[in-house]
Amino acid sequence: MSTTLTSGSGVQAPGTADQAVPRVRRSSPLRRRRSIAAWGMAAPFVLLFLVFTAWPVVSSLFMSVTDIKSRDLQNPFAVNFVGLDNFASVLADPTFRKAATNTLYFVVVGVPLTMLTALAIAIALNTGITRLAGFFRIGYYMPVVTSIVAVAVVWRFLLRPENGLVNEVLGWVGITGPDWLGSTTWAMPSLIAMAVWRSLGTLVVIFLAGLQSVPKALHEAAALDGATAWQRLRQITIPTIRPTMLFAGVITGIGFLQFFEEPFVMTQGGPLNSTLSVAYLVYNTFGFGNYGVAAAMSYVLFAAVVLLTILQFKVLGERDDATGAKRRWFRRSGGASA
Amino acid sequence: MNRSMRVSVAALAVTTFALTAGCGRGDDPAAEEASAAPVATGDVSGDITVWAMGTEGEKLGEFASAFTEENPDVTVDVTAIPWDAAHDKIATAIAADEVPDVSMIGTTWMGEFATSGGLDPTPPDLIDESAFFEGAWGSTEVGGTSYAVPWYVETRVLFVDTALAEQAGVSPTPATWDDLMATSKGMQSAGAQWGITLQAGQTGAWQTFMPFAWQGGAEIMNADQTEFTFDSPEFVKALTYYQSFFTEGVAPKELPDGTLEPDFVAGKIGAFQSGPWHIGILDDTGGEGFLDSVTLAPLPADEKQASFIGGSNLAVFKGSENRDAAWKFVQWLSQPEVQAEWYAETSDLPAVQSAWEEGDLASDPALAVFGEQMTTAMAPPSIPTWEQISNVIDTELEKVCKSGMDPQEAATAIQQQAEAIGTGL
Repeated sequence: MSTTLTSGSGVQAPGTADQAVPRVRRSSPLRRRRSIAAWGMAAPFVLLFLVFTAWPVVSSLFMSVTDIKSRDLQNPFAVNFVGLDNFASVLADPTFRKAATNTLYFVVVGVPLTMLTALAIAIALNTGITRLAGFFRIGYYMPVVTSIVAVAVVWRFLLRPENGLVNEVLGWVGITGPDWLGSTTWAMPSLIAMAVWRSLGTLVVIFLAGLQSVPKALHEAAALDGATAWQRLRQITIPTIRPTMLFAGVITGIGFLQFFEEPFVMTQGGPLNSTLSVAYLVYNTFGFGNYGVAAAMSYVLFAAVVLLTILQFKVLGERDDATGAKRRWFRRSGGASA
Repeated sequence: MNRSMRVSVAALAVTTFALTAGCGRGDDPAAEEASAAPVATGDVSGDITVWAMGTEGEKLGEFASAFTEENPDVTVDVTAIPWDAAHDKIATAIAADEVPDVSMIGTTWMGEFATSGGLDPTPPDLIDESAFFEGAWGSTEVGGTSYAVPWYVETRVLFVDTALAEQAGVSPTPATWDDLMATSKGMQSAGAQWGITLQAGQTGAWQTFMPFAWQGGAEIMNADQTEFTFDSPEFVKALTYYQSFFTEGVAPKELPDGTLEPDFVAGKIGAFQSGPWHIGILDDTGGEGFLDSVTLAPLPADEKQASFIGGSNLAVFKGSENRDAAWKFVQWLSQPEVQAEWYAETSDLPAVQSAWEEGDLASDPALAVFGEQMTTAMAPPSIPTWEQISNVIDTELEKVCKSGMDPQEAATAIQQQAEAIGTGL
């Protein structure tokens, strides 16, 4: 549609324009020079994209359908094509299933928990807490910028079975805390707590930005009509920041599915593989030199990321209600007038 | 799926198939290189680049000046690389054929790098195989061919709290499996929280466990290294014995990081199994004179004596541009007197047996225990998949120790997984 408009050929049926106009242009030398110049300008980007983005993707895809191992490094093309065998063996591997279950557990508990906590903190910072707001913002953002390696040492101290701070505090109220990182039941919840704490800051900032866009007038009008704070949150705040929540959900979901650093620095996947994640297993498998199988695993993880994101778009995406329809109409009319 | 996405997916698929179409393994590359070309180590010249990790990387540069004095035309350029990065760096170097002339290689990496075709087989006339500890030389052989020369070794012995053992009236140098159990239990009843600590799983636990398996007569593979033999009565016997320390509450199932040394110094732990580096650590943690109250004992014997041998080898790369000088340098480092000097510099235990006959190595009783243990120490087979198989042992061993898995089931599980992984040769 836009091509017909820029060519200045007036109102025409899109189909005929697409066929007629380019044929004229292809023969024009000016047009050819322009397209050469355009490609020349785009070349640095295209080159970087091909070398650093497309090539790794293609080669990992290539690895996933061959039996490549570390001994093939010198002749990476002298390997056998094995079709989907790697994928079949990955899906049949009990360790992979265990890792997949662990990752699912981590995502299903971790993502909603992070989002709800972050939302609660953001609302508190946005409305309730006016004094020291800057201090709290920095406080909540701090874990994001701190190095995981340093944090891990502190968390390991906190979670120590004897004389760890967490168990000391539990001891004051008469509870004997477990050996958090050494127990198959508690190791994963401990890592989830740590991950929530670590990713909270970013979401708080994002939600705070989203909350600024909620019109104050709506809240005031609703308050005048006798709506309670809870009703206003449900009916005004949440619907307005839905796009923000979608964004937050997607980036948190992707980050949590690729769960790696926490078990790597805290538990090495133990005890008894109870904190082994898919990303960690991929890392180990690459380490063992089974590049083909490891690449296949990463594509399974990639598929899971895509599925989760689609799911989130369905749940948190634009609803087919009045506002949604209006917005789409806006976009359409805007496109036509440009 | 919109149009542009469909196009890109199709493009990806086409590229992938185009790439795979030209593939296929040729004849086995390992088979063609059974023996090595001779090396001329007379007058050598040129530069040799050497990669070394950890303390060795820091100290080798200066140490090598003695070699360059003997061979004034040679320059030795040592690059220190951190242990964490070393494996990947060597793998990448082999893949890109941008290799140094010589590199230090961890014993458990030998299988992988040798089969990748990056290492030069050891010239047979250059180095006398019998000068080395048997286990150390074994770690350089992959598929019957040696690809490196042992540089330094380490092995595991028992560290026992002498005072606790005396108090309990048990021997601090247990000779058999029963003795070890009695010593551990005795020290526990004499006041130690734990009689002994044995690693109950997680990375590297196999190094603590395998000595028991070897002592009981088990082997990892059959003699010609074609099949795994984990599912043997001897292996199950060793697992059962190892498990009994946990079921009887003599050894802790969980030992938080960094608590072993302070607890041992405080008398809370009666004994543990470790390598020579723990002498230094205990000296630091316990303060001066603490080592006098520690007995170093060889590991107990069942069918026979055995321990784990580790350390590092020196390998010359096939892509080396100065092969003669590189091998001469490796040969120089494996001479007994140079090995003894290197020990004085770094405390790395010599891989050459005759280097143990003089100086500190001969007179220090603690070191003598290591020297004695070394003669019966064994290395795991140098197969490319060993890292992965050892990870399986770690995982199954953890189940045996922590959740009471039946040893026979564990042995079968290890065997099945090892067979699925294969030797990779």
